[in-house]
Amino acid sequence: MAPPNPVQPTPSSEPLIAGRYAVDPAHPLPGAGGGLAAFAAIDRHSGRSGLMAVQVRPDAPPRAGALGALSAVARPGVLLPLAHGPALGPDRRPAWFVICPAPPGPALWPAGVAAPKPWNDTELVTRLLRPAAGALAFLAEQNMTYRALRPDNLFVDPGAGDALVLGCAWAGPPALLQPALFEPPYVAMCPGPARGEGTVADDVYALGVLLLALALGRLPLAGLDDATIVRRKLELGCFQALTADARLSPQFADLVRGMLAQDPRHRPAPDVLADPAGARARHVAARPPRRAPRSLEVGGIAAWDARTLAHAIARAPHDGVKLLRLGVADHWLRRVLSDTALASRVEEAQAHRAAEAAPQDAVADSRLAMRVVAMLDPLAPLCWDGVSVWPDGIGPALADPALAPRLERLVACEAVSDWAAARAEHCDAPALRTQARHSRAMLTQRGWAGGLSRLLYGLNPLLPCRSPVLAGALVTRLADVPHALEAASARPEARAQPPIDHELAAFIAARQDQRLEGEILALDDGDGPGIAMLPQLVLLARLQKQSEPGPLPGLAGWLAGLAGPVLDGWRSRARRLIKQASLTAAIPLGDLAALLAILDDAEAHDADNRASDAAQAGIRRIDARLAMLAEAGQARAGAARRLGEEIAAALGLAALAATTVAAALR
Amino acid sequence: MAKPAVAGRRGASVWFQGLACGALATLATPTALLAGMLLIPSFVVATLDRGAGKPVARAVLLCGLAASALPMADLWAGGHGMGQGVALATDPRVLAVAWAAQAAGWLMAALAPVLVRVLLDAHAGGEMARLRRERAALEADWASGQEAMLGQGGAKAR
Repeated sequence: MAPPNPVQPTPSSEPLIAGRYAVDPAHPLPGAGGGLAAFAAIDRHSGRSGLMAVQVRPDAPPRAGALGALSAVARPGVLLPLAHGPALGPDRRPAWFVICPAPPGPALWPAGVAAPKPWNDTELVTRLLRPAAGALAFLAEQNMTYRALRPDNLFVDPGAGDALVLGCAWAGPPALLQPALFEPPYVAMCPGPARGEGTVADDVYALGVLLLALALGRLPLAGLDDATIVRRKLELGCFQALTADARLSPQFADLVRGMLAQDPRHRPAPDVLADPAGARARHVAARPPRRAPRSLEVGGIAAWDARTLAHAIARAPHDGVKLLRLGVADHWLRRVLSDTALASRVEEAQAHRAAEAAPQDAVADSRLAMRVVAMLDPLAPLCWDGVSVWPDGIGPALADPALAPRLERLVACEAVSDWAAARAEHCDAPALRTQARHSRAMLTQRGWAGGLSRLLYGLNPLLPCRSPVLAGALVTRLADVPHALEAASARPEARAQPPIDHELAAFIAARQDQRLEGEILALDDGDGPGIAMLPQLVLLARLQKQSEPGPLPGLAGWLAGLAGPVLDGWRSRARRLIKQASLTAAIPLGDLAALLAILDDAEAHDADNRASDAAQAGIRRIDARLAMLAEAGQARAGAARRLGEEIAAALGLAALAATTVAAALR
Repeated sequence: MAKPAVAGRRGASVWFQGLACGALATLATPTALLAGMLLIPSFVVATLDRGAGKPVARAVLLCGLAASALPMADLWAGGHGMGQGVALATDPRVLAVAWAAQAAGWLMAALAPVLVRVLLDAHAGGEMARLRRERAALEADWASGQEAMLGQGGAKAR
């Protein structure tokens, strides 16, 4: 399965993942990526070939925790991740890849291929159980789960005596592509991205199913859809459902029965599985659920016990709530199933619902259904409004637009806290409550730094930013934002709007390390077409200083082009012209801090305002004087008349005096 | 209480004026005759002038008196006889000069306010023009950015 053609030398402009791994999208490796597209890759530093780059789906972020914890460790038998990062995909568009060793050989049992002949017990133990249990134990030591154990993701290594190697399981949410058959029913009932990290017990379950399939030489429950498989596992119990018509040796049946236990706490740990005899001895026999003599139908699903009733309510919450509010469900539990304690708890939940909110409150109904499901079947995941989710799967599930609206309501009312309280013995309720509060705080935070986008990026550390401003550029880290905006500045249509939109602001808020909190909150003040630019410039200047991406002349020009309203804030026309000239001169330097210093000069602004106020006062004085002069026409006419009469009299008097003197002197 | 007092003063003034005229006509009949003839326009204007303080009549009278000073001096230098008084009072040249002077007085009283108003209005207009220039300069220096941009746009369009 190693890449047939080593990657050719790439141009220096070709992006290298982690500065060393080159992806060759021209050489796909079908079936190597555990259900995701995979391509040949090479380590440019060491020249090591035999690597693969598994392409991450845009709506399914990779497992950040596993990539961080496992990149630095090595162990044969598992294709552990080496690095991850962006590179050009097969369509020449940027994509995120996880680099790991390529499978050494073909898949054990590729999908759609005829089943291999049944394995005997010795083969199962030596070739599969012990190596796989060892690998799972190693991952458990790293506090990691695998969550992709299935026949088409298990590879044969011809160079190591046909040893089996676990494939890549890191390039998507845990158990994203696991068929319902290989997952416990409480995981399989969740959508792919919502399954959460799970526990090593879930991997043990998948290993148990795999052992069973290889022992039988066929896939159990083949031909059934996922919903039917889940229902059958819940109705009959996993072991009974999967081995209904199978002939197994008693020793092997005991081993698999333990591995397929309904309660994850009853499954053997991987290190115990290294000794199958010991594992059989430690088998915990679980009490089968109490079965009612007649069923209760909820939304077309017949419930025979508390577990299947919980499943029916989870699948059809509206019908379930109707029965609950009519008292039918607790009556059935009390009178038919004869579980008085459970009936009383359900009745209490109904009473709580009635006191909690108005009858038409849909959220209260969803909360009631969730509480009752958790009471009826404490092993079940959180079931909310028809979707089942494990709390640590909420983040990846939010990236799915079809699930996001319902999960948003779930987070908004801190349903995780209620769910944890209803099954406190099966989870760390205080930790989940803290997590729920934190998530709700992100969701309900007002302004640009909060909302669904903030929650989405906060819960998915490797989810690329979805802002349309970036036009498909792959921006996963905060440090990539300045470069991406610099590239976006080359598109004229992008420059019509400010570079930071709500989506990008939420992304920055989620990825920053509290040092930019003030700048992000200040974006709320600029929520208007005219004044949005300055807070964005402040934030981007800080970002440029932090991440040191070098000069950003394109982004500087973009921001300067939007600075008109900010320049309008300067009242002196002369000063405005000076600022505009300074701005134009600063663009080619690409230093956003310099741009900011030009536009955001508080002292000069104060002086400008004072001078402007003085000018306005002068204009008001002139207006008053002009009005007075315009209104003084009548008064001027009167004064002119009086003065003219006096002048005429004075002239007459002067003439009289002159002639009198002349007469006297003659 | 004020109206009767003013009316009383005016009545006394008329009485004294009548007494003075009577005394003049009795004691200096040639002078009264000559003055009466030379100052006929002044008496007419004094009768017609309804302005407060009779400003037009005052100017006309002062000019008439100025023009009468020399004929009066001639009358008194010639012995203040009745014949000479009649001769001077009927001399067309003397009458023409006196009446022309009074006409000039009337013209002056009529034109002086107009001329003064023109001067005052011109001064006010100059001041308003200066203030408007100052205002325009201030507005140009402190126009809002949007107006400035519109101005630049307009300039480019031009």
